[in-house]
This record gives sequence, C-alpha cells and structure tokens, in this order.
Amino acid sequence: MIDVLGFLITLTTYIGIYLVLSLTLTLEVSSGITNFGKVAFYGLGAYTGALIGTYLPLAITGSRASPFDVNGIQLLYTISKSNPVLDLSVFLLSLAAGFAVSALFGLLLTYPIHRVGSALVGFTLLSTGEVLRLFYLNTEPLGESKGFMGIPNPFAWLPQARGAEALYLIIVWCFVGLTYFIVSRIMNSPLGRILKGMRDDELVALYAGWPTPLIKSKVLALTSGLTGVAGVLWAYYFTSINPNMFTPSLTFNIWAMVILGGIDSIVGGVLGTVLLASVDYAARFVIPFIGTTLVTPDYLRWIIVGLVMLVVLLKKPEGLAPRRGGVSKL
Amino acid sequence: MGVKLIVEKVTKRFGGVVALNRVSINVPSSLVVGLIGPNGSGKTTLFNVVTGYYTPDEGRVLIEGSGRVVDITGWNPNRISRLGVARTFQIPRLIPSLTVLENMLLFYDYGSCASITCSLRRKWVDVEEAAVARAMSILREFGLESIAHKRPAELSAGHLKLVETLRGLMSDAKLFMLDEPFAGVESWMARKLTDTIRKINREKGSTFVVIEHRITELLEGVDYVYVLHNGSLLAEGKPDEAVSDERVIKAYLGK
Repeated sequence: MIDVLGFLITLTTYIGIYLVLSLTLTLEVSSGITNFGKVAFYGLGAYTGALIGTYLPLAITGSRASPFDVNGIQLLYTISKSNPVLDLSVFLLSLAAGFAVSALFGLLLTYPIHRVGSALVGFTLLSTGEVLRLFYLNTEPLGESKGFMGIPNPFAWLPQARGAEALYLIIVWCFVGLTYFIVSRIMNSPLGRILKGMRDDELVALYAGWPTPLIKSKVLALTSGLTGVAGVLWAYYFTSINPNMFTPSLTFNIWAMVILGGIDSIVGGVLGTVLLASVDYAARFVIPFIGTTLVTPDYLRWIIVGLVMLVVLLKKPEGLAPRRGGVSKL
Repeated sequence: MGVKLIVEKVTKRFGGVVALNRVSINVPSSLVVGLIGPNGSGKTTLFNVVTGYYTPDEGRVLIEGSGRVVDITGWNPNRISRLGVARTFQIPRLIPSLTVLENMLLFYDYGSCASITCSLRRKWVDVEEAAVARAMSILREFGLESIAHKRPAELSAGHLKLVETLRGLMSDAKLFMLDEPFAGVESWMARKLTDTIRKINREKGSTFVVIEHRITELLEGVDYVYVLHNGSLLAEGKPDEAVSDERVIKAYLGK
C-alpha cells in the first residue's frame, strides 16, 4: 500500500523549500544579478545548520562522542527525543545562523565584484559553489564525503512521527510566505524599479544617482540569507546532508524553474517551481517502479524535466505567467 | 541656480592614444555652451571625464555653485549626479522595460525610501506620490503628457532625446551635459529641443554644455562655443567668431 498522505507531505515540503530558492532567484534576476551560485548559499546554510545541530547538543550534554560515529548519531537521536527545549533551540539558532552566515558571505564576496563588472558575478558565484562543495568533501570536521547523518529532527520529541512531519511542513510554508512577502514588497516598490533599471542598463541607474554595486550587494545579501535558511530547513528535514546534494545542477534546476514560469514574474516563478519540482519528485518516486533497463532511472528523470521545459517554452516562449504592467501601483 | 563647471588641464590617455590633452574649459553659471569638433576630437571623452565615467590621468574637474567649490575628480557617476550634474548620451539610453513616467521616476531622489527596510514597510507611498506629481508636471509643462505611459520602443528619436533631457529635472540638475541632442532628430523637433533647453536655462538658470555636429541648429541656441580637435582645445569664443576661425574651418574640412 502506498502512503499517499506521506507522499503529499514530502512533496509539499520539497516544493516549499524549492519555492524559497526560486522566489529569491526571481528577485535576483530582476535586479540584474546573474546568480549561478544559488547552491553555494544553500549549501552554506545547510552545513551551518548541520554543524550547529550536531556539535552543539553533544557539547551541551557534555558528551565527547563524534557526530559521525554510531554512538554520536544515536546519542543525538536520544537527546532530540527527550529534550524538546534543547532540540527546538538548536533548530532556531541554526535558522538564525544560516541566515547570517549566508548573507554575510554573499555581501563580502560580491561587493568587490559588483564594482568591477556585473558579468563577472555569475562566474564567481558558480565557481564559489564548486569550491565550497570540494571544501565540504575534503574537510574532516564536516564529515567529508559522508557528510552529516545525525541532524536531529526539531520535532523528534513529539509522540507521533506524522505530527512532526506536518508541523515541519507548516514551518516551511510559513517561511515560504515570509519570502514571498519580502520578494513581492521589494519588486513592487520604487526600489524594485531601481533594480529593474539596474538590470536593463546599469550605467543609466548609476547616472540616476544610485550606487548600483552597493544596492546589488545588499539585495544579494538578503536573498542569500533567505537561501541559507532554505538550506537549514533542508538539512533538518532530511536529517542528513552530504556534498553530493550541492552540485551546480541544483542551481540550474532553480534557473529552469524561474525561466519556465516567466523571468521577472513572481507568479510565474511559483508556477514553474511547482510544476518542475512536482515532475521531478514524481519521477523520482515512480521511475524505480518501472525498472528501466535502457536508461538509468536518474537520467530518465532529467530527460523528463528537460522535455517539460522544451514543450512549455515552445508553446509559451515568455514562460507560463509572464509579468504584466509596470512597477508602480499608483 | 546653475553651477559653474571648471575643467583644469585634463589629460586622458587610452594606451598610446591621447584622447584629451591638457584641456581646460571654464563654463560660467547659467550659460548654454556648445562643444564642437570633428569625430574623434574628444568631446564625448570630456563628458565621460566630467560625469565620472572615466577618471582623468591628469588635471581636475571642479563644480562651483552657491559659493562652494567641489573637486569632483575621480568621483563615481552616482555621486556626481546627486550633486546636480545630468547627462544624455549620443544614442539615447532609457530603460526599455519602464514607461516614460517610470524612467523619469528613476531619477528622483527617494533618499531612504529606496532602502530595503522602507520597501518592506511600504513607507514610500507619500514620496512616490510626490515623485509622480513632479514627473507629470514636468511632462505636462513640455507637452509630453500623452507619452507618459508609453515605453521607449514606441517613441521617436526626438522624443527619446527630450525625455532624456527632462529626466535631469527630476534630480534638480544644475548642469546639463547633452551629447548630440539633435542627432537623428527632424528639424521641427530640433527646434522644440532648442526651445526646451532655452526654457530650462531661462527659468531654472541651469548651465548647459551641448555637443553637436549640426552646427546651424546649435548656434541658434548657444552663448559660447569651445572647439576641440585631436584632443586639444583649438578655439573658443562667441559662436560666429568660433566658426569663422580659420583653424576651425581647417579642422572640419580636414585641410
């Protein structure tokens, strides 16, 4: 018997986390920031969360176990089961730290580059994502290729596992709501117009009196912070992370979602995300049952996603829901 | 009130090419001044140096207004713009995805209302209303109300040049640097542009520096002319004096 409710909860959590990534990318794209390093900030958030979520409870309870061996992982599980206050505080602290680390990293990394030339930002971010992945892969305190495996579920102390899942889903979607609020408020404001001007012709925006490198860095700091929180949410949802989750293909998956929905359009980005994430997840779920022999199941998933993109963009080159009208509501 | 522009012995080199060679000009406040010269003589480079796009290799650029002299050499374009210097481009540059009105609004100083926190708290509504009112009154004053909600792609070359000039009024510009305002513009529109320049100059006292090839259109409107040739200042004077100067004729005819 297939667990339909469980499938739906997993799917909507998955979509929610992807929505944070695509909403922030929509704001970045409409500000002229070619963020090819989405995964860098996502991974940074996830690793910050995992670091706090595993080392901190062990340190507080005075255990000397490593979070990478069986004893440590078991101990973490026991702590999360028996100590709700500690379990939740570690989670909340991780969310805050994930935001701060990713935001600061985005600000410090890109401010100098925005000043040199916006074309270089995309390349820098792309390579930074890979450099970080290799760093995780080769750093012992971060678990190397195995990554972290004992990240505690923040609601592990609830008697019912289903209740914990549902509660987590609500938290994810509250954060999606917050991200949506932030992105739409900014895009529909005078600042949104400045960002749009910056994207179309940075020199004109500069001549209009706007310090474009600083504005871009601030926007990127905010969106990267939110992306970092998405990473934390992912880490605590999956309770284990490893460097292989943070390959550049993740970045381009988000780009595909935004392009599919119609670049520059919030509603479009949301539609594109829901469509692609569902197709992707459903394929992940269904393909193993087919038992393909000609193509490996994982590649089949990519082919399906590519096919969906091709069909939609052939039928509607501007995306599913292109942006209409001006910026100002007045 | 306008401001005075002082360019002191400015030199700008690109590799071995000397684009500007110790150029000094002195534009008095509230005057309309022409800058002419053959192609490649360094006119646009001079604009780029004054507005902060390039940093000069030698020399200084000063702005003098209300009893204060500010050395703007090496400043970024956005700071220079906030000081009251507006420029236009040879090929008009408006933001293609924004309407004329929105293009005007881009040049309004929203101050702290353009910050992320202000956007999140939606505290910008009053400022936006003031900005829109200002933009509409400028467009109305110059008879451009009907194009307020059009996008740049729908406009003629003349209208683009006009909007590009007028957006300087949004930021209270005291010095306008216009790069070939008449290029590609029909003659009736060129006249409208000249009238616009004169009107702004008369009513606000703004200073204008205008680059132009179409000398006949330019000369009707300007008080004084500088002639650049191969990066150096060749001549200066009243318009009719400057163009009848033998060296100037030689430079233009290439003899």
